[in-house]
Amino acid sequence: MLFKIAWRNIWRNKLRSIVIMSSVAIGLLAGLFIISFSWGMNKENVHNVIQTQLAHIQIHNPSFQADKMVEYTIENGNDMVAKLTSDARVKAVAGRNIVQGMIASATSASGVNINGIKPDEEKRVSTISTSVIAGSYFAGDKKNEIMIGEKLATELGAKLKSKLVLTFQSKDGNITSGSFRVTAIYRTKNSAFDETNVYVKFDDIAALLSTGNELHEIAVLLKNDDDLEPVATDIRKMDLKTEVQTWKQLSPELQLIVDSFYQYMYIFMAIILMGLMFGIINTMLMAVLERQREVGMLMAIGMSKPRVFGMIVLETIFLTCIGIPLGMLLTYLTVEYFNKTGIDVSAFSKGMAMYGYPTVIHPELESYYYLPVSLMTAGAALLSGIYPAIKALQLKPAVSIRKI
Amino acid sequence: MATVIDAHEVSKIYNPETIPVYAVNNVHLHIEEGEFTALVGPSGSGKTTLLNMIGGLDYPNKGDVIIGGVDITKLSENKLIDFRLRNIGFVFQAFNLIPVLTARENVEFVMLLQKTSKTAREKRALELLTEVGLADRLDSRPSELSGGQQQRVAVARALASKPRFILADEPTANLDSKSAENLLEIMAKLNKEENMTFLFSTHDQRVIDKARRVVTLVDGKVVSDVKQ
Repeated sequence: MLFKIAWRNIWRNKLRSIVIMSSVAIGLLAGLFIISFSWGMNKENVHNVIQTQLAHIQIHNPSFQADKMVEYTIENGNDMVAKLTSDARVKAVAGRNIVQGMIASATSASGVNINGIKPDEEKRVSTISTSVIAGSYFAGDKKNEIMIGEKLATELGAKLKSKLVLTFQSKDGNITSGSFRVTAIYRTKNSAFDETNVYVKFDDIAALLSTGNELHEIAVLLKNDDDLEPVATDIRKMDLKTEVQTWKQLSPELQLIVDSFYQYMYIFMAIILMGLMFGIINTMLMAVLERQREVGMLMAIGMSKPRVFGMIVLETIFLTCIGIPLGMLLTYLTVEYFNKTGIDVSAFSKGMAMYGYPTVIHPELESYYYLPVSLMTAGAALLSGIYPAIKALQLKPAVSIRKI
Repeated sequence: MATVIDAHEVSKIYNPETIPVYAVNNVHLHIEEGEFTALVGPSGSGKTTLLNMIGGLDYPNKGDVIIGGVDITKLSENKLIDFRLRNIGFVFQAFNLIPVLTARENVEFVMLLQKTSKTAREKRALELLTEVGLADRLDSRPSELSGGQQQRVAVARALASKPRFILADEPTANLDSKSAENLLEIMAKLNKEENMTFLFSTHDQRVIDKARRVVTLVDGKVVSDVKQ
């Protein structure tokens, strides 16, 4: 009957109860949606970085990453590419030459990473081929073609068919230059990347570098993100003379963002729940104070303090128990909807794009986030019910009964 | 006859350390089983305060209140709640039913607190509500009942716990004359047929006329104690 009384009590003031249930639901929706938005943004950022820059795994000569010297090529790199291509967990593998140099137009110059790629292999590993906004991606057998980012093109004042000169150090230590014609301009979601990376064909750059068939970098794209560590471990076992790095090691700042996401999520929810708690405390306190006479009567006729306490807390739990599933449902529907349509934040995201964040966010929330957040909300509600319940216990029946 | 209430030199003093106000001043009241006693007096004479102390809703500053051999002034707040549940039935001036429960549920509620079985609760609630003439309003909520009907439910609820006595604080104050008459008849009948002890405070002359003993309080003191 305690349940019955508590349940009926919450419907005595329907408007107030609906307001508090809505607060719980909207609080949850707001918290979870922001989390799903951040998670969607992070996930897309990670995927962007994997697909345009890093791939899942990169293999280098152990000295290459520190100095980026041309001579630090991978021993038996092409054999490794062949082995990895046959691994069922691997989606695609691409061998690259990487060299740092200068790019110059008639009017300007800039420091860049020169990526020597095998167009067909690269097409399968990264999305760079689909990022072309002008011209076409290395089609045909023409020599000395170059693909540059939109931002760099603007800086250099270069257009399609413009001639640009790449200058770098070859394997034998000489400064070498090559003239390349712009055949494609690309734009990824990371403008900083676009500004500092140019693409040329592997054979063209290898000829200038005097590196022959040797590779500086092997990029491995996996079919499944979960295979990251097992595949990396297997590659490490294959050849100890290489350095095998996952995207997490290659981009620790990205990993930090992903790892700290969980902490942010809980801190963020805690802040929302604190606000919610004050709302619930206020409502329940009002409910108790309005019913002083009734609570006094209940104690007068023999309702024990634990029961009175339980009744008030139960009322809070009921209010929350309706609000939580409602909030979850609203969150699910909202997240699913925006996951499909995406949220275009391009108007606010110039700065974000610089750091590689996408301009269209697809909020996403894994189902396993719902439980801890629900439990946190239920816990907060339980705590909110305690103070009003204690206040109820402090009432003196002889005084309360006479309250109007 | 057995003694039901023995209030001995009971005083309730407000502001005892500054300007003491004696709400009840050295009152001695002895109630036997089956009595039908009215506590009368002008407003502020201490009727309700005395009832509160006898009912264990308030502690006296001085004196003892002995009910069934237990000095309830020595009981802790929690023990008092349990004592009230098992020994005292209350009827309040403003009815004070649980608004979200039906008449039947209100009566059952006290028995539920006493951990009476469901079947026994239902049976007794039906019996009591029939006794007070509300067999046809079992499933009505207090808001659907008249003042007189609500007070009759309150009487049934007070009886539900099988108390030693019933305390009623101005039970007819909020009732029209017909309802008051009706309620008094029920209380008198219960007193007569079931030997239920009633102690009630009142201003109502009709209640005073029905009482078999009238205790008059003035300024917290008993000024007369008349059997009629």
